[in-house]
Amino acid sequence: MGYSVHGPKARTGGQGQGLLPKESLYLIEICKGLFITMRHLVRNVFHMGDMPTLQYPDEKPDYGPWLRGRHRLMKREDGSPRCVACQMCSTICPADCISIMAMDDDRPDVEKSPETFDIDLLRCVYCGLCVEACPCDAIRMDTGIFEIAADNRAAFQVDMDFLLNNTTDGVKS
Amino acid sequence: MPDITELLWALGKIGFMLAVILGTLPVMIWAERKGAAYIQDRSGPNRASIGGVFRLGGLIHPLADVFKLVFKEEIVPAGVNVFFYHLAPIIMMTVALSTFAVIPFGDVLLLGTREIPLLVANLNVGILYILAISSLTVYGTVLAGWSSNNKFAFLGGLRASAQMISYEINMGLAVLALILVYGSVRLNDMVVAQGDLLWGFIPAWGVVLQPVGFVLFLVALFAETNRNPFDLPEGESELVAGYHLEYSSLKFALFFMAEYCNMIVGAAVVSTLYFGGWQVPWLTTEGLRENAGTLLTVSLSVGTLLNLLFATGLWRKFQGERGTLGDRRELESGILAVVFLGLALATGGYLLVGKPWDIGPAASAHFATVMQIGQFITKTLLFSWVFIWVRWTLPRFRYDQLMRLGWQYMLPLALLNFVVTAAFVLFTHG
Amino acid sequence: MAKMTIDGKEHEFEDGMNLFEACAVARGENLPHFCYHPGLSIAGVCRMCQVEVEGMPKLMIACNSQVKDGMVVHTRNERVDGAVRQILNFHLLHHPVDCPVCDQAGECSLQDFYMANGLYEADVDIEDKIAKGKVKPIGEMVMLDAERCVLCARCTRFTTEITQTHEMGIFNRGDHSEIDVAPGKTLDNNYSLNTVDICPVGALTSRDFRFRRRVWWLSETDGICHGCATGCNMSIHHSEGIVYRTKPRDNMDVNRYWMCDHGRTLYHEIAESDRLTQPSVRKARGELAQTASWDHAYRSIEAAGKALGGDDAALMIILSPHATVEELYAAKSVLSDSVGGALLGYRLRGSEIGEGDELLFDADRTPNAAGAKKLGLAEYDAKQLEAAANEKTMLLVVGGDLALAAPDAGAALSKFGCVVYLGWQENSTSMLADIVLPTSHYAEREGTFVNREGRAQTFAAAIDAPGEARDPLRVIRELGALFGHEPTWDGIEAVRSELCAREGAFAAMAQGVGPLGLALDAAAESEVERA
Ligand code: SF4
Ligand code: SF4
Ligand code: SF4
Ligand code: SF4
Ligand code: FES
Repeated sequence: MGYSVHGPKARTGGQGQGLLPKESLYLIEICKGLFITMRHLVRNVFHMGDMPTLQYPDEKPDYGPWLRGRHRLMKREDGSPRCVACQMCSTICPADCISIMAMDDDRPDVEKSPETFDIDLLRCVYCGLCVEACPCDAIRMDTGIFEIAADNRAAFQVDMDFLLNNTTDGVKS
Repeated sequence: MPDITELLWALGKIGFMLAVILGTLPVMIWAERKGAAYIQDRSGPNRASIGGVFRLGGLIHPLADVFKLVFKEEIVPAGVNVFFYHLAPIIMMTVALSTFAVIPFGDVLLLGTREIPLLVANLNVGILYILAISSLTVYGTVLAGWSSNNKFAFLGGLRASAQMISYEINMGLAVLALILVYGSVRLNDMVVAQGDLLWGFIPAWGVVLQPVGFVLFLVALFAETNRNPFDLPEGESELVAGYHLEYSSLKFALFFMAEYCNMIVGAAVVSTLYFGGWQVPWLTTEGLRENAGTLLTVSLSVGTLLNLLFATGLWRKFQGERGTLGDRRELESGILAVVFLGLALATGGYLLVGKPWDIGPAASAHFATVMQIGQFITKTLLFSWVFIWVRWTLPRFRYDQLMRLGWQYMLPLALLNFVVTAAFVLFTHG
Repeated sequence: MAKMTIDGKEHEFEDGMNLFEACAVARGENLPHFCYHPGLSIAGVCRMCQVEVEGMPKLMIACNSQVKDGMVVHTRNERVDGAVRQILNFHLLHHPVDCPVCDQAGECSLQDFYMANGLYEADVDIEDKIAKGKVKPIGEMVMLDAERCVLCARCTRFTTEITQTHEMGIFNRGDHSEIDVAPGKTLDNNYSLNTVDICPVGALTSRDFRFRRRVWWLSETDGICHGCATGCNMSIHHSEGIVYRTKPRDNMDVNRYWMCDHGRTLYHEIAESDRLTQPSVRKARGELAQTASWDHAYRSIEAAGKALGGDDAALMIILSPHATVEELYAAKSVLSDSVGGALLGYRLRGSEIGEGDELLFDADRTPNAAGAKKLGLAEYDAKQLEAAANEKTMLLVVGGDLALAAPDAGAALSKFGCVVYLGWQENSTSMLADIVLPTSHYAEREGTFVNREGRAQTFAAAIDAPGEARDPLRVIRELGALFGHEPTWDGIEAVRSELCAREGAFAAMAQGVGPLGLALDAAAESEVERA
């Protein structure tokens, strides 16, 4: 039942509804509440270190290896991208934020490789489906980088060069 | 005709009062934020700093807030009533500050032969003045709400006026009972009367004589100051920000400060009416003056000990923090530890060298005054804290609950309290 | 008639019908298959189409059987499925499975059948697979990856039976069998890309389309090839406003399953840099043309008309067999009949004729000459043009490139007072024009062509026109309005119904032409017969 503002119902059933007489006196309950909050305050003043708050930029959370951080592209031994531009990642991507242009590769053992590989990090929802979809383990989200901030949109449009050299700083091993 | 020195003294007292209030303001804001944080198991503001070193546990944040509010863009929305729109915050702040005029913050100050009463205006209608002036607050809120040309603000203003009028009655009745008990409307008389002892050991504070009245007064005071659980005029969940929704920058700052001023004034009034004001429990002014030497010695020793304790604590923190933050913030605890050590040395040194147990009569009088002012400020701060404490404990009332509480429960109770008190006074003093 | 049972249901088929086809009809989908192709002879080599025929001890391949009265066939049971699985396993044994880099992925029969019937673990390690030639360009248009081949012999049959050029063959034996071009040959006939279409896997891929777009992102729109008078039915594959390839659309009466490489690669012109995307106006002869707004271009035409002598000025119109039937009709009825422009004709006699072949490619390289003829338009020759040229006449050229076809015609153009060109591509005629109005390409507009056999075929717009290019119909309408005779129709549907009502040859089109086109003459005859 909702509440009604007027009428006898409000008077009899509105305020003290479901309360014991002792409770509907309020004052005692209020004092109890005040003691609870005071207990928290005192405990926190004297055991400041036990508070769960993280002093964020100074202390970084440890999300563990399962964190889906900023993407990186893996390299072959010769430093070229491992990606074969199959575009499975951009096909599965729910945010439609990966755009790849493929090219014929002249190398004897590489038939197809990406000419461009761009990710729009502003659109990305960090779902990790691209990593799951990749048949070549060419794209990973294990950099541990989760602070993705900039003051202009262009900075979020990352290209193949950036992704290949994306640092793995912050990876907690 | 008051002579020129009298005028200067009055100005000095006004200055002192303003300094106390405006100095307490940032502390209150800090206490509000930090207290709320600790109550909610988080650490609250702690990042703003001076020179990258001093953060003082978040005390710099109110300062930063001031700069922020000053430099923010002043937006005056289209369609406001310009005159009232600008008048409202001024009313709010003026009213909040002028209530202080009649609150005594100490007994008389002895300067040679001169006796200076420690309150700005010793009106013979003191308590009535407070009731009258504080009722003016409602003009601030109503005008702000109405002139803003905003539905939410308007609703906030309406709520504020209804709520203040309802609870003023209860407040008045509670105060009436007090007037009966003390037989005076002069605040200083009331404070002096609370210096007595009941049955030889309980201070005859208002709260002891009028417990029900105290509860009624306190609740009404919360409603009057629009503080939680009665902050419906600015209930952000339904009214965005209520009556001050359309204010920005300095004008908003005035509303913001007025709220805290009202809180401090409220706290001062409660401590004056019900907790003995500047009275140090069990020690009258004479008692204070006589035992000044001993008291000073004791307080200096305690002060020295406390300072030493702080100094060691901070030093430990300094040692522990070293190398964790990686910048100059690490120095803070160390520097503060040295400062406290210096304080400890100063007090300790004075204890050893200055023979504090053996001070002259003039100094004793001054010591008594300082003690009383300190007592008053302490009580005021404690009650201000109660405001904060309650805010972070109780949820907000619903509007119908607020009205029902005011009219159906508190009003009859206040009347009853008044009648019983009157009968009691009639029979005992009759 | 043969009464028979397929998967428990009674069916009736023509005697002697191919069982594969019958099963396809009965099932509503094809049997798994690689080698069967309706346009080619039966090879029966892939063994994927096996079905169980009651009374037969072994499973039979449907593609090499015929329906018979009383036959009871099962296409879906454990035995058949098991057999298909085994055959599929066999096909995949040495398959490289490089789907990530294979252009066929997404339209690959092997993938599809594996998902439908396979889903087992590989039996042979990738290292142990037999290596064959990869990434081998076997012609201008075709890339071969012999490892991916399932040896269905479709490509060899195509080059043997359809083009009869015999370039492809299967070499070596057993699991070393490998598809390749015959020594010393390359797959360079004008139909080579059809092998890519019919190759069920990624063994043959188009070098033209290679790696440009994943096929699952392509949308298809029905088009008609404008490369020659045959009017092959095609499907335009495009995505996000870009055309990536065209493929033949089956039409037994026109192109069957095929299309020539010339027509297939024409789509490149859509995105070439010589597209006209903005009107341009030349202040005076000899000066460079400046891009202009449509408004400015129209006002320039008006001004030119005044300068040529106001009401005395004459208007002459040259149409082209590259324009659709609707556009020809609109230009004729609005600009000639209403405005009063003189119609010179639709084609410079003998222009745009090349060499054709027996299969599809026609000597006439224009798509709509038959349509123009049916509208009663005539050919003209350079002399007529020369004779008509004079200082007081404004010439409106709708499409085509007559200056390229006959240089002396180009010279005649400059003798006109003002030349307005309407077209989508920069060419020698547009260069000579004083005012150029850009129009949309065939892939960007709707229309109808009549092919060499008198078959009217419509096509739809696949993508948007670039820049400020406008539909020619709209431009004709606006020109009509400019000359004071705004037509009553608006939009292609209205033009079509007017066309059907006014032009007897097209009356049969009133009921619509359908996806496979409408043979106008036959339709007219049957109309007469019925009457
Ligand atoms: S994480 Fe998800 S949204 Fe981001 S690129 Fe990968 S698939 Fe797209
Ligand atoms: S799925 Fe992997 S290999 Fe394929 S395009 Fe994406 S990153 Fe490259
Ligand atoms: S032919 Fe088919 S199965 Fe083979 S690699 Fe290409 S897409 Fe994959
Ligand atoms: S290349 Fe293609 S069409 Fe030719 S045999 Fe192999 S799979 Fe069949
Ligand atoms: S389709 Fe019948 S054997 Fe290949």
